[in-house]
Amino acid sequence: MMQIYQGIDIVEIGKFREIILRHPDFIPDIFTEKERAYCDSKKDSSVHYAGRFAAKEAGIKALGIGMSGGGIDHTLREIEVLPSKSGRPELQLSGWIEKLSQKKHISQLTVSISHSEHYAIASVVLTGKQNTV
Amino acid sequence: MSQNLITESMVFDELKKAIVETLNVDANDIKPETSLINDLGAESLDFLDINYRMEQSFGIKMARHFVLEHVEEMFGEGSAIDEDGALTDKAVELLKLRFEEDVPELQAGMDMDEVPALVTAGSIAAGVMDILESLPEKCTHCGASDWKAEGAAVKCGACGEAAVYANGDDLIKAWLEKVQTEKNLF
Ligand SMILES: [Zn+2]
Repeated sequence: MMQIYQGIDIVEIGKFREIILRHPDFIPDIFTEKERAYCDSKKDSSVHYAGRFAAKEAGIKALGIGMSGGGIDHTLREIEVLPSKSGRPELQLSGWIEKLSQKKHISQLTVSISHSEHYAIASVVLTGKQNTV
Repeated sequence: MSQNLITESMVFDELKKAIVETLNVDANDIKPETSLINDLGAESLDFLDINYRMEQSFGIKMARHFVLEHVEEMFGEGSAIDEDGALTDKAVELLKLRFEEDVPELQAGMDMDEVPALVTAGSIAAGVMDILESLPEKCTHCGASDWKAEGAAVKCGACGEAAVYANGDDLIKAWLEKVQTEKNLF
């Protein structure tokens, strides 16, 4: 049977901007080189970083793994948000997150990101097979 | 070696400061058993902010990978998370050791997204303390053994360089090896 998982997350852009300015390790810890190249090419990069952060969080919620909380959650980096050829964002999983998604038999991932002046929001929908055991 | 420049209560005070600045809560509401999510309403971004603040104050590197992720890497896939994405008996036993106190919510079969609510101010402070305990006897720059604390930062009294601690992930791995030797869980 097919199973649908969904996750949503909202980020306050002002708060996000303050945090990335306060902690120079934040961006390289959480975002891959490709994500950084994309966001840094935009006029207001922090808006795009905030939207991608929301997408990563939404992906984590959809996968049902929560955040680790015990440290600085590197799994966020393993959900990569990249533009497809058409410009729509797509999710690419790697590492431990990819293994977890295989356990849940996730076959398709879709993401949608939007922002206004103050907020960035993202929604992730995953489809997979329900475990038979 | 066990360092005695930075005490547990200094770590907890610094953590309180970080939590107050991040979450705008009353310092008196922060106790070791306080859950950042359930009691203080922290979200993921707040956790990152708090952890980075602790890194900056103490000059340390906290873990980037979750304990159970290290478990699967060291003891094989499926050792911590079962086929349904839930925690195995062994993972629960291990987390009980890790949290060093009785956490009734910790049960085999619980989902991974139920774990973060178990993170308390006390467990974060303990993680920082573990890293601080890795202070080497001698300065890695000049070899002197003359550490001095300037607030939360430890510096070499001879050459002035900041202390270099083990990083959080290496300490988790070392801890897992020790637990495995003692308890043979996996
Ligand atoms: Zn020195």
